[in-house]
Amino acid sequence: MDEKKRKIQAIVARTLFIIAILCIWEIVAKSGIMGSNSELIFPPLEAIGAAFIRNFQTGMAGVSLWVYIGNSMALLLEGLLIGIVLAFVLSGLSMLSRVFYDIFNLVISICDLLPGVALLPVVIIIFGVKPGVIVFLVIHAVLWPMARNVLDGFLAVPRIYVEAGMNIGLKKSSLLLGVYLPAATSYIVSGLKVGWARAWRGLISAEMIFGVASCPGIGLFINQMRTNMNNAEMYATLIVIIIIGLVVQYGVLSPIEKCTVKKWGMSR
Amino acid sequence: MTEKENCILEVQNLSKVFDADTEREKEVLKNVNLNVDRNEFLCMLGPSGCGKTTLLRCIAGFESYEGKVLVNGMERKQPGIDRVMVFQDFNQLFPWKTVEKNIQYPLKINGIRDKAELKQRTQEVLDKVRLSGHEKYYPYQLSGGMKQRVAIAKALALKPEIILMDEPFAALDAMTRRELQEELLRISMEEKCTFIFITHNIQEAIVLGTRIMVLAEGGRIVEDEKNVIARPVTPASQGYGEIWERMHNALYQ
Repeated sequence: MDEKKRKIQAIVARTLFIIAILCIWEIVAKSGIMGSNSELIFPPLEAIGAAFIRNFQTGMAGVSLWVYIGNSMALLLEGLLIGIVLAFVLSGLSMLSRVFYDIFNLVISICDLLPGVALLPVVIIIFGVKPGVIVFLVIHAVLWPMARNVLDGFLAVPRIYVEAGMNIGLKKSSLLLGVYLPAATSYIVSGLKVGWARAWRGLISAEMIFGVASCPGIGLFINQMRTNMNNAEMYATLIVIIIIGLVVQYGVLSPIEKCTVKKWGMSR
Repeated sequence: MTEKENCILEVQNLSKVFDADTEREKEVLKNVNLNVDRNEFLCMLGPSGCGKTTLLRCIAGFESYEGKVLVNGMERKQPGIDRVMVFQDFNQLFPWKTVEKNIQYPLKINGIRDKAELKQRTQEVLDKVRLSGHEKYYPYQLSGGMKQRVAIAKALALKPEIILMDEPFAALDAMTRRELQEELLRISMEEKCTFIFITHNIQEAIVLGTRIMVLAEGGRIVEDEKNVIARPVTPASQGYGEIWERMHNALYQ
């Protein structure tokens, strides 16, 4: 009962907060307190709403925003998948070999600090302007935080689980898969969260800095809207980006958490 | 059966040093020699820090050491399912597996794939520890005593030669502890299995053990005798007071 009450309270508070923000926005837009550019900087909500629909209907250069989203998501998915698999494989190898661990740990520390966007010029010089560059950046964005989390998770596995595993005949790689991996699930899930967020941001920034004409994505779309001064469309696209982020958070990551660590009583 | 054949575990000249070549160097076990007979229930008593846990961990294969550990005459250096350990820690079950899966997983790893057999063995061992009906529970939904029951069931399912128990009941309340002692006693009398059981509790050692041993500093065996009191043992049993006295004196000398 208390739990339910708390949930309703949270929903009400959040709804009120959003309504308040929207009201302030609308007042600023309509009252003209930002001077003559008021409507440009803060387009009224109805204009943004109309732009939102227009984005999907007419889109840009006759291509609907759906296509841009599709392109972005395809690149993102490819990069995420490769990045996550690599993170698991490399972290796993680190647990099996001390030398590999020492080196990989250093590599993570170095690479995790390098913003993907800063690598962009180098990557373009090497690979040229291709969709592959974006995939590369997504991999870069997801691999290091993910690997850091997986490794930390492996190292934090209580000794009792490891010994219980050895006790029943698990060794090296079977111990890794049978004990370390499931025991580190909460770390892995938080790695996924960080990795996904970094990848999503990295993708949009890369697309904004250089749009690949052969594979135009959301970042390119929003940048074009800016150059054309279609500010309402720009805001509408930002909303799309937020919605996609929320869908992944609540549609993918939360369910993963629910049917693993929460179900096992490893996290509240 | 000859004496040699009847011996299941031999520990020969086992020594173990912690933090070797440092200031904190400590010789926990010094030349320990020990023979354990088949189907014996050996209880080891000893003050904290006497090395009894380390000795058990060496036998289990969790520690490196000098000397030899032989099971059925064959040397063992690594952990194996012929010697299964039941820990004191309630968290020894995998939290990501249900009770049933916790019991079946070790069997699967060791080559038992047949669903019917897995099911039947699970039922059998859960019956033994009186936890039938709890197959689908996750460990966090069980009490400490129930977790220890599952841990014992898990060990029994593997049908090991020796079950090593490191104060498995030490963290339980007195009533649950009493209950589990009775269960374990019944199980040990039914099973064809050797037990090595570490405890701080003299009463527990007398109730469970067919042989009782007291260790002192460095794993030195200061008392070692067969427990001949008729089972089930109660404080009113004949000879209880004398053996309690002897163990108590050996422990606190």
